[in-house]
Amino acid sequence: MRKRLFGVLLLALLVLGSSVLAFAADPGFVDGRFTTTRKITVEIYDRSNPGGSPPEDNFWTDFIKKGMLEKYNVEVEFKPVPRWTEVEVINNLLAAGDAPDICVTYSYPTILAYANMGGVLDLAPYLEEYREYLPNLFGLLGETNIYWNRDPNTGTVWAIEALLFQNKKINTFVREDWLKKLGLEEPRTLEEFENMLRAFRDNAELLLGEDADKMIPYSTSFDVGWRNDHLIMSFVPNDMSDRDMWVYGFDDRHLLWPNYKEGVRKLNQWYNEGLIWKDFPLYGAGDRTEDNLIKAGYVGAFMHNWDYPYRDGQEGIHVQLRNMVGEEAAFIAVECFPNDAGIYRKYLSAPIDRKVFFPATNKEPLASLLYLDFISSLEVRRFLQIGEEGVHHIVHEDGAIEMLPVVGEKIINSPSNIDYTITINGLDLGDPVLTARSIALNYPGVEAKYIERAYEITSNEARYGINVQVGDIEAEQGMETALSEKRNNLLAQAIVAKPEEFDAVWDRGFQDYLRSGGQAIIDERAAKYDAMYGDN
Amino acid sequence: MKRVANINPRRIINYLRKYWSLYLMLSIPIAYFIVFRYIPMTYIQIAFKRYSIVQSPWEMPLANNHGFEYFLKAFRNLDFLYALRNTLLLNFLDLVIGFPAPIILALLLNELTFPRFKRFTQSVVYLPHFLSWIIIAGLAKQLFAPTSGMINILLNRLGFESIPFLNDPTHWVFTYVFLGIWRNMGWNAIIYLAALTNINPELYEAAAIDGANRWQNIWYITLPGLRPTIFTMLILSLGHILSSELDRPYALSNPLVNSVSNVLSIFVYRYGIRGLQFSLTTAVGLFQSVVCVIFLVAANALAKRFGERGIW
Amino acid sequence: MVKSKRSKAADLAIAFVCLLLIIICLLPMLNILARSLSSTEYILRNQVLLWPKGWNVEAYRLVLTDSKYTWSLAWTAILTVICVGVSMTMTVLCAYPLIYRDLKGRRFFNTMILFTMYFSAGTIPHYLLYKDLGLLNHPLVLIIPNSLSVFYMIIMRTFFYSIPDSLRESAEIDGAGPIRILFSIYLPLSKPVLATLSLFYAVGRWNGFSDALYYMNERKYHPIQLLLYNILNAVTSIEIQTQEGFASAPGISDTIQAATVMFATVPILIVYPWLQRYFISGATLGALKD
Repeated sequence: MRKRLFGVLLLALLVLGSSVLAFAADPGFVDGRFTTTRKITVEIYDRSNPGGSPPEDNFWTDFIKKGMLEKYNVEVEFKPVPRWTEVEVINNLLAAGDAPDICVTYSYPTILAYANMGGVLDLAPYLEEYREYLPNLFGLLGETNIYWNRDPNTGTVWAIEALLFQNKKINTFVREDWLKKLGLEEPRTLEEFENMLRAFRDNAELLLGEDADKMIPYSTSFDVGWRNDHLIMSFVPNDMSDRDMWVYGFDDRHLLWPNYKEGVRKLNQWYNEGLIWKDFPLYGAGDRTEDNLIKAGYVGAFMHNWDYPYRDGQEGIHVQLRNMVGEEAAFIAVECFPNDAGIYRKYLSAPIDRKVFFPATNKEPLASLLYLDFISSLEVRRFLQIGEEGVHHIVHEDGAIEMLPVVGEKIINSPSNIDYTITINGLDLGDPVLTARSIALNYPGVEAKYIERAYEITSNEARYGINVQVGDIEAEQGMETALSEKRNNLLAQAIVAKPEEFDAVWDRGFQDYLRSGGQAIIDERAAKYDAMYGDN
Repeated sequence: MKRVANINPRRIINYLRKYWSLYLMLSIPIAYFIVFRYIPMTYIQIAFKRYSIVQSPWEMPLANNHGFEYFLKAFRNLDFLYALRNTLLLNFLDLVIGFPAPIILALLLNELTFPRFKRFTQSVVYLPHFLSWIIIAGLAKQLFAPTSGMINILLNRLGFESIPFLNDPTHWVFTYVFLGIWRNMGWNAIIYLAALTNINPELYEAAAIDGANRWQNIWYITLPGLRPTIFTMLILSLGHILSSELDRPYALSNPLVNSVSNVLSIFVYRYGIRGLQFSLTTAVGLFQSVVCVIFLVAANALAKRFGERGIW
Repeated sequence: MVKSKRSKAADLAIAFVCLLLIIICLLPMLNILARSLSSTEYILRNQVLLWPKGWNVEAYRLVLTDSKYTWSLAWTAILTVICVGVSMTMTVLCAYPLIYRDLKGRRFFNTMILFTMYFSAGTIPHYLLYKDLGLLNHPLVLIIPNSLSVFYMIIMRTFFYSIPDSLRESAEIDGAGPIRILFSIYLPLSKPVLATLSLFYAVGRWNGFSDALYYMNERKYHPIQLLLYNILNAVTSIEIQTQEGFASAPGISDTIQAATVMFATVPILIVYPWLQRYFISGATLGALKD
């Protein structure tokens, strides 16, 4: 009798135990909350800006920690990682098993490399299992972004894509006051733009007086592909297929797209006519020399990030230019490079941004996913992006938000607190009209009309990047930095070459690019694309 | 030349009694070397294995080609070969032009007759050493840029053409070397200056009595006095012939001169570190170390031939 | 002593060359100093050469009132002093025994030590080692791992070699042991090399930051050069500029950059002249020659 009782008890225990084990993904999660406090660590960028607050312990982290603890009984700890050496530091952390539970990076091949070493957690089963607890995450990112990186063959999801909400890229800027002085209309075609540059060059004395020898009709930087995007893209055939766009799309400046060479040839022609700043290849990223020349008023036109002259308030180009030159000086955005179909085509990226991944050492996948959900809820991210009323922003009559500069412990360390809102990049107040108006308000020292114009032009006639998932492309691994450098070298050297040497220089550099791995990537992409989608 | 069975116990005890303190003293540095240099060295095996973040080096599987996969990968990569050539070229020029510079400077300072001026010069010439290469690169661009560089603006005003200090490969090499000299000359001279104080002043007095002039002093007294130091520094420099720091070429390079500015450190950074190929990084590092050791041993043997003590 | 005309001319020529050297070494520092004290308009127009234009002490005010910098400066100073003490002790402990030619195992030790100069394991293995030793994020990780430089040890040993054996032998006859000899003979005579190497270690520690970058996450233990590195690199990464397309980190003005350079460099510059007087003390050696 006792034996039987014992047997029943044992059986009951086994059943109970196995049911617990069956939900072994997470016991202890009851009614949307954990029964025991869980701990997770989250990566946070450390920008070390002077006057900034410690990124792992400040007003915002207090807010997040409090929210997570109250809502889910999860303790959050932030692990600061220096922004500029992020790759090296994260790598050390991963190697030692010290990485935070939630990591963020811009480079997917990096994640893939780690995943192939077994260092990354596959999110697919957890996303399916806990979908019902993640309404905000799925609501914000949608199936598109969450499953953007799902491998079609194995179904693994190594990383989730954050949402690029404000998808704006490049604009072409010209000096409004110089156009007026020379009696020129805003350029609407390539020819008009060129003539405008020549007019700047030939009228240097009129425009700059005694600084005439410092005239720079058109300025660019070593990052030729980014800084001449509108021009070069206008040479790309309008009817480029999706297939070509992707197969030749490894390079993030689109070097391999059809007819790219001719766009660069145009730049070479301009350079040899003396229309381009001669020192452009010398200065690396972040160097302020070119900016200073623009602020000093020597530059007539340039292409850059869509709002570049208007950023940074008092330190920005717009305000500084006015200080140096006068009240009428300003840069306006123009549209003047139609492609072969007469359309002012802009090529924008797909709506993806940073990739969020969990290292294999993450023991709390549910808690981590709940963190992502928390940070994606409109209420929380709105607060993170605009802060407290009266402290970080004021509300206009129409509801638009204007940000105020804040110093001290409530300071916002990164633009719109992007370092904390890891699932979204770009201001989102919930209402697109309100958001657009708020954005226009948030350039201190700049009239809204300039912003509105820039905002509109930069995404006019946009063609967006597409998602093609055909599994890993082996040829791509580890090639990003090396090939980008080759591309930059090729473009810079091609532009400064003598016109008769252009083809030779281009071909030599281009062949080197292909031979060093570019061709292998194209071939593999083509093969896998055709295998999956047939010959489209 | 081992003497046969002279294991006299009394000798051993005497020896130990005399030298125990020396062994005690040495034990600390040796322990340091074992822990902090030799134990990490066991990780060099990564060069022969397929790197994996989640495994310890002992567990990692052996790479293809009996572990030489990454060495072969490096040598088949044209970029690696160019990087090798550039590293050798730049280091060689640094050696030939840059090695004598601090010695000459030390001699110059030694000959200065105005003591206050001498001290002031000594204090000033090592200043550039404290600037990081990022800052120096910024200054160099301010001076040498083709159109906005001050030197070229001056040249243009005088009617000359701009000199492409930084944007033409050949010119760039020399700018690179001379900036290195400018930065390190004063600092490296310190060692020679310290060694100069070690030379017996009586020798100079004796030479003065014999009517020697300045140059004879230098040739017969000063230089020989510096000989051990010069040889030591030379051997050590030769041992670094293939080494490659990242800061200096990285800060000074630009897309127009990559044919000469891409050196091993940049190759390792781009392919190994940013490309996350750690086995490749370690393999290249191992290759560099082996070559350096070969040069070191050769240089040391050569020095001994010249009658110098050598490094060991 | 009557100096001939020729040697006077040579003197002047030498002085002239030294003057040139002073100029090319001093000017860049003056330029940075000037920029740190100038206002933006003149910097934008590239008009600041050697003298500040538009006097502006804002940058210094910002740096000096930011406790991040002042604390880091103080900490770096303390750290440097400790490191020099530890390093010099280690160096002497290593160099001294190796000059005894009849020390058994000397060849072995020499080779073993020299070997480490050329083989290095790299960041990741070191990271793992420090983790296992519990050194990560502990201030000791900035002191111990780089405390002994083989290069400097060789220099010290070379210098010890140049001290004549006769001194040592006579002391041994008088019954002194190696330790006594070290303290009473070798160290006093080695003032130049001790001063030189102390300076080298100090500068190495002061300017070095890559170990803190990888192994020290606690901001309060960051050396000043690391802060400077972060500032100078603030928008350097090309990826950051384009990734965060819609608004990148606010630029850090030229003036602040220049001010931080000055801030991080000046303290160590003060140390050298003070150590300089120890270089000029080689006279004792000659007196001992019989």
